Formats: sequence, structure tokens, C-alpha cells
Amino acid sequence: MKKRDYQALVAYLGLVVPGLTVYLVIVAYPILYSLWLSLTDFNPNRGGSWSLVGLLQYRTMIQDPAFWHALKNNLTVVAVSVFGQIPIGFALAYILFRKLVRAGRFYQSMVFLPHFLSTIVIGTMWKRLFQADGPVARLLQMLSGDPTSQFDLMLRAETVMYPIGFALIWMYTGLYMIVFLANMQKIDASMIEAAKIDGASEPQIFFRLIVPLLSGTILVATTLAIAGSLRGFDLIFAMTTQGLTRMNAEVLPIFMYRTAFQDYSNPMRFAYGSAISNIIVVISMALILLSNYIGRRLHAGEEH
Amino acid sequence: MPGRSTEVAPRVAGTGDGTAGRLVGRAVSYLVLTTWALITVLPLVWMFYSSFKSNDELITSIFGLPHDLFVNREDEYAVIPPALNVILPYDPEVDTRERVIIESATISPGRRLMVQFLLKEKLPPELRGLQPGDRLRVSQLPPALRLRINLATIWFNYISAFVRGTLGLKFINSVIYTAVSTFFIGLLALMISFALSKLPFRKLSLFILGLIGMGYLLSIQSVIIPLFLMLSSARLTDTHVGIILVYTAFGMPLAVLLMTQFMRGLPDSLIESAYIDGASVFRTFASIMVPMSTPVIVTVCIISALGIWNEFLLVLVLASSEITKSLPVGVFSFASLMGTQLGWQLAALVIATAPVIAVYLLFNKSITKGVVAGALKE
Repeated sequence: MKKRDYQALVAYLGLVVPGLTVYLVIVAYPILYSLWLSLTDFNPNRGGSWSLVGLLQYRTMIQDPAFWHALKNNLTVVAVSVFGQIPIGFALAYILFRKLVRAGRFYQSMVFLPHFLSTIVIGTMWKRLFQADGPVARLLQMLSGDPTSQFDLMLRAETVMYPIGFALIWMYTGLYMIVFLANMQKIDASMIEAAKIDGASEPQIFFRLIVPLLSGTILVATTLAIAGSLRGFDLIFAMTTQGLTRMNAEVLPIFMYRTAFQDYSNPMRFAYGSAISNIIVVISMALILLSNYIGRRLHAGEEH
Repeated sequence: MPGRSTEVAPRVAGTGDGTAGRLVGRAVSYLVLTTWALITVLPLVWMFYSSFKSNDELITSIFGLPHDLFVNREDEYAVIPPALNVILPYDPEVDTRERVIIESATISPGRRLMVQFLLKEKLPPELRGLQPGDRLRVSQLPPALRLRINLATIWFNYISAFVRGTLGLKFINSVIYTAVSTFFIGLLALMISFALSKLPFRKLSLFILGLIGMGYLLSIQSVIIPLFLMLSSARLTDTHVGIILVYTAFGMPLAVLLMTQFMRGLPDSLIESAYIDGASVFRTFASIMVPMSTPVIVTVCIISALGIWNEFLLVLVLASSEITKSLPVGVFSFASLMGTQLGWQLAALVIATAPVIAVYLLFNKSITKGVVAGALKE
């Protein structure tokens, strides 16, 4: 018996240890490292000399207007995801689900396409499209009949988030559409038939049957969208030019990147940057856990 | 729930009203879906066809179809001297054959961007004596050379992006990162998931699963600073190994979660009978578990490969030389540097997106299924 246990343990460890080691060293350890870094004044300009300084970096962050500016922009991105991507995605999914159009699969593949493309490439494409003399500007000139009108939304601090919000919706709506569609297809078709026989109109079926049935999915999608929006880096980074435009559109991840990897004059750049990324992790983790919690409760409720 | 459908009840009077409403519903549906599909696809279509336009065309006729680079049979070229600003595609020390160097008089003349090297031995006698300053037309050349120059003109933006942005090298790098990391994610996650789902030590398994599952809440971005410091002290920044290591580790959580979930659903009896037949654990793993897990392996590979192929920040931070840059980083820095060469920029974007679009259109169904499985993970 003992020998068999021993053999089983060896086999178990042989299977688990290689992958687990890579994971622990590259994923788990750095998060502790990051926590430690954010509590020090780690100075890469002086060969990494450091001493513990408590919550100094977090205090600096709260007093830094750049942090609040980035957070504000991040909240705009969150709003765009929740009030743009999710409703549009839901509406498109519903049209496909009820087979209100022919060639649904064709439409579905078209709308889902951007999800597969590199965000950085798509961001560069939108930067070009939104240039002051670019295609969108020309299109607006043709539509308005005013050949001198300029597309300057990207250039002004107050408006820069509008074109970025549009690109974000363009990029991610397809994902939510697919997620909602997959969940709609789990709905028992006889339920809709029954509602129809009872004389329910289309809007009634939509608002009083489909939406309540998918409320769990909508909630989970919403919280995931919030968490994802807090992490978003590539698209805004590619759509803006380094300098004023990027500063105007700065979100927390770009603020972290700029602090840690571009602001060489700041001796505490890695410590401060770690504090910023820890805050991003804390906020998004709280939201993901919340979404799982809500999802599980709703799921448990359905089974009764 | 069934109670709800009766709640909806108030009967709509008259069936004619219902069909008219249905018709309007259909029309609105077509309008909404078609509009959105066009909004999605038209920017990409514009990017594709515009990548064949000359710089002038991209400014003067933004929406027009490519013309300049295609209508090139009568293009004029000027003979230029072999100056320092002409990049030779051959080593003059090794290859001493005489050449006539010509530059396009239509595509950015004087900027040495569209230059051709014609071997004198392949030219007809009357063209061999051309001197710098002389001019000639493409139609004067023998057919083989003419075809080469015609093609080089049509693909001018692409050739320039490939050569000047060294995008070929970056493409290979991206393929290496994606293939190697995906392979290791699949292998290591399969091994772990098998142990966690089918071997004894339940409590330890739950603990390990929880530990790895936590990683699902993290992204590379959240620990990019410590990763940079760690890999710097291990001298692994700017190396393929360092980048693959990080991709592999960060691919593990989702892969292990999906695979463990899948393998738990496989019957234990198969494995037990394999034991009774005297098969070792590793034998059982390789010849029973792996083949039976094909669906989840495909899903994991699709999600991992897609994520790695498009990843940007890690390579941006770690790769300081051209040798390790991936395609997204290469395209991004090329596009930022070549801000005035609009056609090259667009060609670089197409080079990065076309392969993914091709794969997506070919394996549409299984890819969509895989991504949904990843996104819906509960």
C-alpha cells in the first residue's frame, strides 16, 4: 500500500510541478513583488537601493491630478462599454436569435470580426481614419457640404474621448453579441411559443421574457465589461500620438506605463508605477469577484 | 418561470395588425444589422484597398480606388548614379556585374524610394549605354524586366513595409511566440489538469486549482513592472525565451480551468480499466486522456494563440532590439515612424490583419465556439 501511495505521489508531482513552477515564478511571485515595490522608494537610478516608506506611493497617487484625470477617462470608457457595447450587442444578438433576418451567420461573422484583430493595429487604423484631414473628416465634409470643416475631436481635450469611445464600441460590441446569442440559444423555444399563443407582442416577448431570462448574463457581462475597461491599454495607446493627445486621453494603464517606463527622471518610477497597477488590480478583482458572486446567486435561484 | 409567459397575456386584437408589426420588425432588423455590419466592415475594406494607393492619391482622393500604382505600363524612370543614399540589394564586392540603376519619376522622385537595379547583360544593346540623367519608359524594357517592375510598382507599399519595417522578421517572431507558447500552455495545462481531475490527493488538487485560478484575475499588464525587473536581473529581457516564458505562464490559468472542468466530466472507469490493464500513469495520460480531450485542447489553443498573436504591451516593454519584436509592435513602431508614408502605413496594417482574417474566415465556426467557451467560463 505504502509503495503505491508513494508512486502515485511521484506521478502526481511529476505532472503538476513543471507547470506549477512556471506559474508560481512568473504569475504568483510578481504580484507579491509588486505589493512590496509599492511600499518602498525603490530607486533604479541608484542600482535599486530601497527602504520601506509605507503608503507614501499611494498618498502621492491620491494627490496626483494625473491619477484623477486618468481615472475619469477610465470611467468614461466604462460608461461606453456598459451603455454602448452591451445594449447594442444585446439588440444585435436578439435580431439574430429570433431569425428576423436571413443570412444571420454572415452578419454574425462580420460583426464579430474585430474581436480577432490586433487591438494595436485597429487603433492605428482608427487614428488614421480620425485624422484632421482623414477619411472621416472627408466623409463629414461631403455630408455637410462644407469643404472647409475639420474633424478636430481627437485634438481637443474635451472631445477626445468621443472618437475613442466610438472605436471601443466598434471593437468590442461583437463579443457581447456572441456571448448574449450563445445564452439566448439556451432558452427553451417552447417558452416563446407559449407566449406567442397567449398573444404576446414582439416587444412584450423581448422585455418581459428574454430580458428577464438573460438578466444574469447581462449582469455578468456588465461587470466583466467594467473590469475589462479598467485594463484597456492598447486601443487608446495606438489611437493617440505620444504627447498632448495621449495625455488628454490617458487612462490608468497608460498612466502606469508612462510613469514606469517613460518618466526616467522620476527616481521612484517603478515603485509609483506598481502602486498604480495594484490599484487597477484591486478595483478589477473586486468587480470580477462581485460578478461571480452575483452570477452564482442568480444561478442558484434558477435551480429552485 | 412558466408563470411569466401567461402574465404577458393581453391578446392583441386582429391578426392583420400582428403581421404588419412583424413586417416592420423585420425591416428594422435588416436596417440595424446591415448598418452595423457596414460600420464594422467598411473601415477594414477601406484599409485594404487603400493600401494599394500612392501617397498622393491617399491625400487627393481619399475614397477613390487605387489607380497610380496599377496604371504603370508607361511609367517614366530616370537613371541615377550609385550614390550613398541608394540601398543596394546586393553586395557590390561579391556581385560585380554591371547594373543600370533607375528611379521612378512618378513615385516620390528624388527620394530614392522606388529604385530598380537592371543587370546590363539582360538589357537590349541600345539601353546598355544609359548614363545618369537619361530617362526611359518601362515599355522599352524586355518583357521579363517589365513584368518585374510592374509587379514591384503594384506592391510598392507592401515591399517597402516588408523591407524597411523588417516585417518579415517580425512575422516570424510572432509565429514563434504564438506556436511555442501555445504548445507549452497546452502541454503543461493538460498535465496539471489530468493530475487535478483524475488522480488522488483531492484536497491538494483543490488548493492548487484555487491557486492557479487566482491567476485568471491577473493580466500581464498588472505585473509588468516586477516582470521587467525580474527578467532584467535574469538577463532575459529582449530574448525570445523570456517572452515565451511569460506568455506560457499567463496562458496557464484559463487553460487549466477549462481543461480541469472538461476532464472532470470524462468517465473515471476508462482510466481505472487502463490501470487494471497495467498501464502507467503517463501511458494513461498520453494514450487515453489526451485523445479524449481534443475538443478542449482545440478551444485552449485557439484562445491562447489569438491572445498571444495580438499581445502588445509585454513585447513593447521587453523587446528593445528589432530581433525580438513581434508583428504588432513592429507594425506600431513602423506606422509611427512612417507617419508621412500613408500607403506604407496601411500596407503594414494589412500585413498584420490579413492572416488573422483569413484564418477566421476559414475556421469561423470552431473559432467562434472556442472564444465563446473562454468568455463564458463560469
